Amino acid sequence: MKSRIAAWWLLSALVAIAIAVLALPGRSYSNQDREQPLAGASAQHPAGTDGLGRDRMVRVAAAFLLSLGGAILASAATTAAAAGVGTLSAFSPATLGRFAMLVCDVFLALPWLFLLMMVRSALPLTTSPAHSASVTFLVLAALGWPACARAVYRGSLELRDAEWMLQARAGGLRGTQIVRHVLPNLMPLLLPQFLICIPAFIIAEANLGALGLGIGEPLPSWGGMLHELDNSAMLLRTPWVYLPIGLLILVLLLLEAIALEV
Amino acid sequence: MRSAAGWLKRFARTLVVVVMVVSGSTVLMRFAPGYLSDAREMDSRYGDAARVELSAEAARSASLKQLLWTEFGGWTRGNLGVSRQYEVPVAELIVPRLAVTGGLLLRAIVLAWTLSICAALVSSAGRTPSLIWQLPSTLLLAVPTAAMATICMLSDRGGPVLVMTFLVAARDFKFLDRMLRKAWRDPHLLQARAQGLTIFRLVYAHILPSIASQLLALATFSIVTALSALVPVEVIFSVPGLGQLAWSAAMNRDLPVLLAVTTIMAVAVTFAGMPGDGAREWQGV
Repeated sequence: MKSRIAAWWLLSALVAIAIAVLALPGRSYSNQDREQPLAGASAQHPAGTDGLGRDRMVRVAAAFLLSLGGAILASAATTAAAAGVGTLSAFSPATLGRFAMLVCDVFLALPWLFLLMMVRSALPLTTSPAHSASVTFLVLAALGWPACARAVYRGSLELRDAEWMLQARAGGLRGTQIVRHVLPNLMPLLLPQFLICIPAFIIAEANLGALGLGIGEPLPSWGGMLHELDNSAMLLRTPWVYLPIGLLILVLLLLEAIALEV
Repeated sequence: MRSAAGWLKRFARTLVVVVMVVSGSTVLMRFAPGYLSDAREMDSRYGDAARVELSAEAARSASLKQLLWTEFGGWTRGNLGVSRQYEVPVAELIVPRLAVTGGLLLRAIVLAWTLSICAALVSSAGRTPSLIWQLPSTLLLAVPTAAMATICMLSDRGGPVLVMTFLVAARDFKFLDRMLRKAWRDPHLLQARAQGLTIFRLVYAHILPSIASQLLALATFSIVTALSALVPVEVIFSVPGLGQLAWSAAMNRDLPVLLAVTTIMAVAVTFAGMPGDGAREWQGV
C-alpha cells in the first residue's frame, strides 16, 4: 500500500513538473533554435536540443502528457466498452451472449500491432498530427476491450445467478436498476483492467511511433523520440538523449506499481 | 466420440472466427479513408498512372459482396492479390519469409519457455515473491520492444532471438510464478511433500498435470506476445521476415500485403488457441 501511495505521489509530481515546463513562457514543443541543433545541456535548454534544434525537455514533457492523457482516455473507453458488452451479453439471451463472445474471439485473434499498422497506413496522406494521435489512441481503445469483456461476461454471469440478484429480479427490478446494482459489484474487475491498460497503451504507442507509424511530427511522442537512439553520433555527444527512454521506463514502473496493488 | 465431436465443434468455431477476421479486415481496409489514395499521386510524373490504377481499383471494389467473393475465392486458390509496392503476387513475397519468421518465433518461444519455467520453479518455491526474480521481469516489461532492440543493437550484444526471448520470458514468468505458487500450496501437494516425494516427481507427476490447461492457454498467449514484438524486432535488426514485410507495406501503403500478413497472423493465433480451449473444456474449467 505504501509503495502504491508513493507511486501516486511521484507520478503526480511528474505531471506537475511537465505542466510547469510547458507553461513557461516562450516554450513550445515545435519551436526550433536553428543555431543550436543537437546541443548539449545549457541554461537555455536544460536537456539540450534534438536534431532540429527543438528543446528536448519541452518535447519530453509534452510527449509525457500527451501519451499519459491519451492512454488514460483510451483505457477509460476500453473499460467502459468492456463493461457494457460484458454485462449486456450476460443479461441477454444465451445465444446473443455467445455471439458477443464470438466477436470477442475475432478481435482477440487479430494481432493488434498489425491491425493498428493497417489502420494507420490506410489514413489519408493529408492526416494532421493531432488527427493521427487521436486515431492511434482510438484504435488502441477499439482493440483493447475484448479480453476485459470476456472477464466481465464471466463475472456478470456469476452475478446474474447470485441469490440476491434472483431475489431482486423476482422483486421486479427493471433492467436499468439491475445494471445500477451490477456495475458496483464489477468494480474490483474493472478498476485493475483500467489501470493495466494504461501502461499497455503507452508501450503500444511508443512501439508504433518507433516504427514511424505513430503520432505524426511535429507533435512529440515517446516513439518519435526513441528514434534518436538510432543515431550513434548523437549518443556519444550528449547523455540527454537517454532522457525520454529513462522517463518512459520510470512512468511505466510507477503505473505498474499502482496497478499491482489494486 | 465425444472428444471428436468437441474437436469438430472447436474447429468449426475456429473457421467461423477466421472467416469473420478475413471479412472484417477486408471491409476495414476497403472503407478506410486512405484506401483509394497513393503517394505517387503527388508526383507529376507518376500521378496520372496512379490515378488510372486507383480508379480501376475503385471500380473493382465498388461492390462489397463482389470484393469479399473475390477475396475468399483468391484465398482458396492461393491467390492473395498483387502487391501495390512491388507489383508481384503477394504470395511470392510471403512464402519465403514464412520460414524466417517461423524460425525466429520458434527459437524465441522455446528459449523463453525454458527460461521462464526454470525461473518460476525456483522462484515459486520461496515463501513470498522475491524481488530478485520479480524485478528483472518487471523491468523488461517496462521497456518498449523497439527500445530494447535498439539498445541491444547499439551495444552489439544480443540479436532478435534474445530480445524476443526476454520479452516473452518476462511476461510468461509473471503468470507461471503465480500459477506454480498456487499449485505448491495445494493440500495434496503439501501432503506429498510431507511424505518425502522428490522435487522431480512432485513437478512431473503432480504440478504439471494440474496446470496443464493453463500452460496451454499461456502457450497461445506467448505466441500473441511474440507476434506483437515481431515487427519492431525484425525492422530494427533487418530480419527479412513477415514483420519487416508488414512494416514496409504499412510505410508504402501496400494494403493487399498488409491485409494478407494480418490475416495469416490472425489465422495462426486462432489455430494456436484451439488446444488450449480443448484442454480447458476437458478439465471442465
